[in-house]
Amino acid sequence: MIAWLSRGINLPLALAAAALLLWSVSAGDSYSLRLLTTAGVFATAVLGYQFIFGHAGALSLAQGTFFGLGAYVTGITGSQLGWGFETTFLLSIALPMIVAAVVAMPVLRLESHYFALATLGIGQVVLLIAINWTSFTGGANGIAGVPGVGIFGFDVLRGWPLLVLVWSIAILASLLSWTAMRGTTGRAFALMRSDTLAAMSCGIDIRRLRFQAFLLSAMFGGAAGALHVHTNRIISPDALEFHIMVAILVMTVVGGRTHIAGAFVGAVLLSHLAEWFRFLEHYYLLAYGVLLLLTVVAAPWGIVGTAEIARRRFFPETISPPPRPNQIPSAEEPLHGLNIRGLTKNFGGIRALDNVNIDVQPGEILGLIGPNGCGKTTLINVVNGLETADAGEIRWNDKLLNGNSPDALARSGITRTFQSTRLVEEDTALDNVAVGRWEGGKGPTIDTARGQAMTLLNALDVGNAAMTLVQSLTQGVRRRVEIARTLATIPSLLFLDEPAAGLSAEERETLVVAIRKFAKDGLTLVIVDHDIEFISKVSHRIVCLDRGQVIASGTAAEISQDPVAKSTYFNGTSNPKAGQSQDD
Amino acid sequence: MQFIQLALNGLALGAAYALIALGFVLVLNATRAVNFAQGDLVVTGGFIGAALASQLPLPGYALLPVVMLAMAGVGFCVSALAYWPIRSRPPVAVFTTTIAVGIILQNGLNGVFGPEPRSAPPLFTGSNLDIYGLAVSRQSLAIIAAAAFLIAGQLFLTNYAQLGRAMRATAQDRDMAAAIGIPVARMIAFTFAVSAALGGAAGLLLANQFFVTPTDGTNLIIKAYIAVVIGGWGRIGGALAGAMLIALFETIISAWMDYTVATGLLYVAVLGILLVRPSGLFGEVEGRRA
Repeated sequence: MIAWLSRGINLPLALAAAALLLWSVSAGDSYSLRLLTTAGVFATAVLGYQFIFGHAGALSLAQGTFFGLGAYVTGITGSQLGWGFETTFLLSIALPMIVAAVVAMPVLRLESHYFALATLGIGQVVLLIAINWTSFTGGANGIAGVPGVGIFGFDVLRGWPLLVLVWSIAILASLLSWTAMRGTTGRAFALMRSDTLAAMSCGIDIRRLRFQAFLLSAMFGGAAGALHVHTNRIISPDALEFHIMVAILVMTVVGGRTHIAGAFVGAVLLSHLAEWFRFLEHYYLLAYGVLLLLTVVAAPWGIVGTAEIARRRFFPETISPPPRPNQIPSAEEPLHGLNIRGLTKNFGGIRALDNVNIDVQPGEILGLIGPNGCGKTTLINVVNGLETADAGEIRWNDKLLNGNSPDALARSGITRTFQSTRLVEEDTALDNVAVGRWEGGKGPTIDTARGQAMTLLNALDVGNAAMTLVQSLTQGVRRRVEIARTLATIPSLLFLDEPAAGLSAEERETLVVAIRKFAKDGLTLVIVDHDIEFISKVSHRIVCLDRGQVIASGTAAEISQDPVAKSTYFNGTSNPKAGQSQDD
Repeated sequence: MQFIQLALNGLALGAAYALIALGFVLVLNATRAVNFAQGDLVVTGGFIGAALASQLPLPGYALLPVVMLAMAGVGFCVSALAYWPIRSRPPVAVFTTTIAVGIILQNGLNGVFGPEPRSAPPLFTGSNLDIYGLAVSRQSLAIIAAAAFLIAGQLFLTNYAQLGRAMRATAQDRDMAAAIGIPVARMIAFTFAVSAALGGAAGLLLANQFFVTPTDGTNLIIKAYIAVVIGGWGRIGGALAGAMLIALFETIISAWMDYTVATGLLYVAVLGILLVRPSGLFGEVEGRRA
């Protein structure tokens, strides 16, 4: 218990929860109870909104609409048909989810701003329907006399019983949210939100995650709306107006976008703030606006997130020891290697790849060299599905790869690292690697995944950085953390884009040994780097590209003697690294 | 006959939408950020016009530059408060701060002026013009002319003037622009100011025929947003065409059925467009930024 309290910001959160409980018991008048009930209702809506806005990082403006839809379903079925809570509540959850599924289809693959527009648009349509379909919805006046909660004939009265029901549902919602996000799934969301390319390289299907997050947000939104109408006993278009969306957005931002505690802090604080600001009359929403602006600018992680950062800075915890390394499964060994035939890619008038033929045997390490702009990175991008080839075939283990998305390729064992490392800065190195074991949610538990991640970090000689936040690691360590992350997806074919950049001579030596060992265990690798010494040491064979064409191929010794490779790549100087920049 | 009348009304509405959409795209191209407050800036312009007219007996054409100047000041504040401090954060952060600005403007107007609709004076007073037996609204023609003048001025500024070149350079590659000595911060603030001034002009023009209420902003930003999406994200010409298209759609369908149906159909059409042509009717500006 004491150990738990001393961890993170659990102590202040526990104190706040106790204070809230004491205050609600001591206040006890119907007005305060009603306010607290409202806070519980909104906490549920905010927990839902955290999925899509916080975890998935997509700006949905439909949370108010889901809330309103849930409210209308309960309002209409409860008052007109007299159905019980057990039915109306489920319907209130189902309808928003159906609407969410329909709206999400056209916009999931698009960028966030289309998502915002589509979700805003659906809100307007629903509002228009609610106002104009008078016979069904009661029009602008709505429907009064919605009954209270009756579950299988038992009436849940206003005051304490309703408060307990609402908060039980809010707590149930937070448990759901906690289970959904505690494992590697939470890490997968974090990676997707910080870098979509990196997420795809770990096999994360971004559309699927966004869709799930959106459905969950609709589900919680609908539930909150249903509870809202039971609290207010009247349903009107007011429940669908934009100010509900605004309230949920402000609560989420102020409390903290991804913290369960943040949902409660935001909801309790803002519902009371609205009351305290009542004297401002028209201006109380203005105060919301100011608060939102200030929070985004000055404390983007919200109250709970900021408290966590403060705890780390002013009362640093002793870093917990790294987990014990765990056995990691190995990939199936392919019968055939990588066969690239006639691969061509044009960018406007520039031919980045020109009829490239390359073969790599299973378990082979191929070094890819060439001057800047020779097409090395384009080759990796095309094979990994980031760009589509204009002509040519790519086969791996005799299966055609052309036309597959990067994440589908990663799931089938073909992945890559990036020239500039793409990691989740505010996560530990260990969790950055563990996310590779996600496997669409079918991977091992987070504890097993962490153990396996530890094995990989040790193999790359960066095990001592496991518990450090990535933002404070050096470039050389970050590169190897990224390599470990791709290895965690258990690839059979791996492309490393400049793995040695930023590493010291000593670190390069250990990297060579580590890579050689992975190849020995069956991994096939294609490595791009400018350091010819490193490439010569690590590769079995080297291919030299120039202006999109293969100009030489052979062992390191052969390449260094090849007259064509020499004149283009070595450029007559003894130091091939001179004048090379990091990107090409 | 009636159709020509309708088309003229549609064009006038489209001209005002075009001004709003143009302001939206200018900020979008300069900062890659969606300015969600654009609709509320329009409404603010309308209210400033209405408030000034009640104090000073000025005709609309004299009010227009005053409103635009005031709104330029507001736009400058928006960039300083809601964009500049968080310029290096992901676009969704700026989206959120501009939502906040919208809330502040909307409720500020509601607090100061109350929720009742207001109207601003027409650009030119006088009865309808009689052109070949057609009663043509003077204000409709004036709106089209004023919007055309402002849009042409804006296009001239961005395409031919030195200042516009600097703005475009800032929009294309901020670091490079800074490296060759363009004052990037000033350029962005200026873009916000121009965009708010265009929005304010639209507000004054709309406030005569259609009135303004403090809550109109949400509806207007959706229209501008739709115009930009169907015109191709980031395309100025596309946004102007998109604005005309949705205004004509709205006017004709409203006359034929009613406004609610028109609005509903518009959203359904947009979702359909996103489904089959996600880059808009005229294609997205590709490779603007790596």
